[in-house]
Amino acid sequence: MDAMNFNFACAEPAPPKPGSVGIIGAGPSGLAAAGYLSCLGYQVEVYDKLPKPGGLMLFGIPGHRIPAERIALGVRDMERKYGVIFHTQTKICCSAPLHDEEGDHFCKEMLGFGELIKKHEAIIICSGSWKSRKMGIPGEDLPGVYSGLEFLFPIRAARYQSPSVKIPDVAGKNVVVVGAGHSAVDVVHGAIRLGAASVTMCYRRTAREAPCGVFEIERAGELGAAFRHLVTPLRILGAGKVEGIEIRQGELAEAGERGACAMVPGSEKVAALPADVVVAAIGEIATPPFAKELGLEDVRKGEVHWLHMTAIENVFVAGDALTGPSKIGKAVYSGLRAARSLANWLDLKALNRQDAYAYDDLIAIDDHKGGARP
Amino acid sequence: MSGEHKILSIDYSKCIGCETCESVCKFANDTPRIHMTRTRDGVMAPLYCHHCEKPNCALVCKRGAIRRDRDGAVILQTMHCRGCQTKSCLVACPFAAIFETDKGVMLAKCDLCANRRQLGLGPACVDMCPCGAIAYVARAEAEALETDASRAAFARVMEHIKPSGPAGK
Repeated sequence: MDAMNFNFACAEPAPPKPGSVGIIGAGPSGLAAAGYLSCLGYQVEVYDKLPKPGGLMLFGIPGHRIPAERIALGVRDMERKYGVIFHTQTKICCSAPLHDEEGDHFCKEMLGFGELIKKHEAIIICSGSWKSRKMGIPGEDLPGVYSGLEFLFPIRAARYQSPSVKIPDVAGKNVVVVGAGHSAVDVVHGAIRLGAASVTMCYRRTAREAPCGVFEIERAGELGAAFRHLVTPLRILGAGKVEGIEIRQGELAEAGERGACAMVPGSEKVAALPADVVVAAIGEIATPPFAKELGLEDVRKGEVHWLHMTAIENVFVAGDALTGPSKIGKAVYSGLRAARSLANWLDLKALNRQDAYAYDDLIAIDDHKGGARP
Repeated sequence: MSGEHKILSIDYSKCIGCETCESVCKFANDTPRIHMTRTRDGVMAPLYCHHCEKPNCALVCKRGAIRRDRDGAVILQTMHCRGCQTKSCLVACPFAAIFETDKGVMLAKCDLCANRRQLGLGPACVDMCPCGAIAYVARAEAEALETDASRAAFARVMEHIKPSGPAGK
């Protein structure tokens, strides 16, 4: 297995530069930024709440899709050849209450955001999107209801032996998965592998519109999962634990001459599906620390003078923390661009010229041309 | 000789469609030369240059702008390319791996990171693919990497690029 090469931008480390850079989050954008900046010769320190660098590449996406070893080897190269320091199980505190997000219970150390700003010349926030979106229906708090990440995270994390991490017990149970994205598919695969008696995917539209695509749905079908389209979850049934889910089920019309089909108007019926476990894989929300204080909304719109710079001038932001949940590739690109922007800013700062460009046009205009908008 | 030349070989059965290859290519080369596409069935697949042994694109280019460099990469010499309207090279490519852009000669194709090869580095997409789905190997060794799954996945992608059924006519 070859290593992922986060240091792809250079053949060997540059001579050391004065100054250190802190990176919050060791997911795709954080690691890409760390690779780029360590290539330039900066002392890079990466902070992550989890026991291993990799973020959702490691703890969200199943290992048969992204080999853990490939990330680990890339991280090892960064440590050994480029002197990057990784602080794992360290959370930078805190705008959301602790234990609000998946993976919080791994933290052994808390660091204040203020300390970090003083410790490093500049920092990049790449904290990603770890808070699960809720369905917002009655019964959602019953034991047996999971979010996609709540379900998938422990499967990967249990090997790191935190007593509070438990693999969901689905053996012999009926599992209903809400959603049809790639996480939903991963949940289906996970549930089947863990010995679920039945797995049913419920999606509000049809397979043709599903983000994971018809192919993945068919493959899940071959593994024994059922797929229901045009489903709206109404409430989770049960007293003390999940016993079922009440849904509104639509009926698909015959395809017309032009091939398109729609729901038969007024065909919706309320039905109850028996379920012991309900997984709502309907996406995540970004939870960067101090979103308001850092003016992240302005960064998002590009209304800043330095690409990816927040309201605090030596604090940059990249990846899902900035854009909301996206794709690994988008996060990598965002991390690389933020790293480049940060390096440019540090260069000017060393010359005491950082104001020289500060009143150029807002970068938003430029950014639109680059097509880098989420 | 040509068997020793290194080429890209993507195992579509390992690809998860995360777009890291395209992003890194864009960062390294400004205009990406590898492009993520989605088939009608929702299978994600990056389109990329196979640096063919007998490249159609080079055959059809009237200006001879597409040539093999000393490492065997099939490269577009923008200096010789006229940016012609017919875009024969783009049409001739069996893998849909030449891309229209809005810059310069309005074409982009993979040159196996020529600027990086000068520095002893390999293609950036290979380095950063999280799945290890992209190999940079000698043409003669590429076949040995194939599996039943990779062949089936490749066939699915080709069926999308060049449908064999009524949809293709």
